[in-house]
Amino acid sequence: MSGHHISSAKFLWGVGIVLLVLTFITVAVTWIEIPSPWNVVVAIAIAVVKAAVVAMFFMNLWWDTKFNILLLVMSIIFFMILVGITLLDTLYRTDPIPSF
Amino acid sequence: MAQTSANVKKGDHVQHHFVDSDQQFESAKMGMWIFLVTEILFFGGLFLAYIVFRSWYPELYLMASDHLDTFWGAVNTVVLIGSSLTVAMAIRSAQLNQQKGLIINLAITIALACIFMVIKYFEYTHKFELGIYPGAYYAYDGIPHDKANIFFSIYYMMTGLHGIHVLIGIGLMIWLIVRARKGHFHSEYYTPVEITGLYWHLVDIIWIFLFPLLYLID
Repeated sequence: MSGHHISSAKFLWGVGIVLLVLTFITVAVTWIEIPSPWNVVVAIAIAVVKAAVVAMFFMNLWWDTKFNILLLVMSIIFFMILVGITLLDTLYRTDPIPSF
Repeated sequence: MAQTSANVKKGDHVQHHFVDSDQQFESAKMGMWIFLVTEILFFGGLFLAYIVFRSWYPELYLMASDHLDTFWGAVNTVVLIGSSLTVAMAIRSAQLNQQKGLIINLAITIALACIFMVIKYFEYTHKFELGIYPGAYYAYDGIPHDKANIFFSIYYMMTGLHGIHVLIGIGLMIWLIVRARKGHFHSEYYTPVEITGLYWHLVDIIWIFLFPLLYLID
């Protein structure tokens, strides 16, 4: 199994520290009041970066076959289709849901 | 079979329908990624509920989020990231035939997962004491909004489903330790460690999104 990628301990700790720094940043940006909707955009953007770091360097997608990356990307695309089509309905209702 | 006993042991894990160990490993990993796709869409339904109701009641989310403790949410984020690191270290240990390192890293991961659940337990019980229950059982009047129960229904469903995944992860990790102690894993075969690792990292990723979406909206 010489083909398997083995990360060095130093590298894994580095990835962990990057994630902790990003966690601190995502908390710290709430201390400075960013006007809505940009506070949500910033929070999601940092979360996406963190998720991408985990997927690439902890889940080893960086060194993996393209097919596994494709699977992850497809799941995200289908989630966005789910959200997009649902919002086309729910955003344009005059009354959200009776009694709800 | 004209194999030496060492060879038999090394090739033992390869099932007859695979060409070799590598193909078996790649197949298992791809299968796990397909499972993770279903997990993403499973949680995706809850994220969608979050998005739809936030678009309807944006002010509710801002009010209700005040009742979630950002500090403990942040601590749990750090705990889960730490556990992701130890799982990655466990896989590295298995790849390098370090049985002791594998078991120690898995044990630390279990400990961190338990810390996460204990913090979650105190967060939940604190809300129950206030009467913050999901859905129709909601009995707290500290939030001046008709639909306050909706936010907490979503909160309990998302963190609850995530918590169930953490518990399952703890179970899997115990199973890995039992097998590791029997010496089942080595550099040629550590597929269950790798695959449980993938699962655990996904649970971490879900929390990475839950934390800002639930705790950090002020």
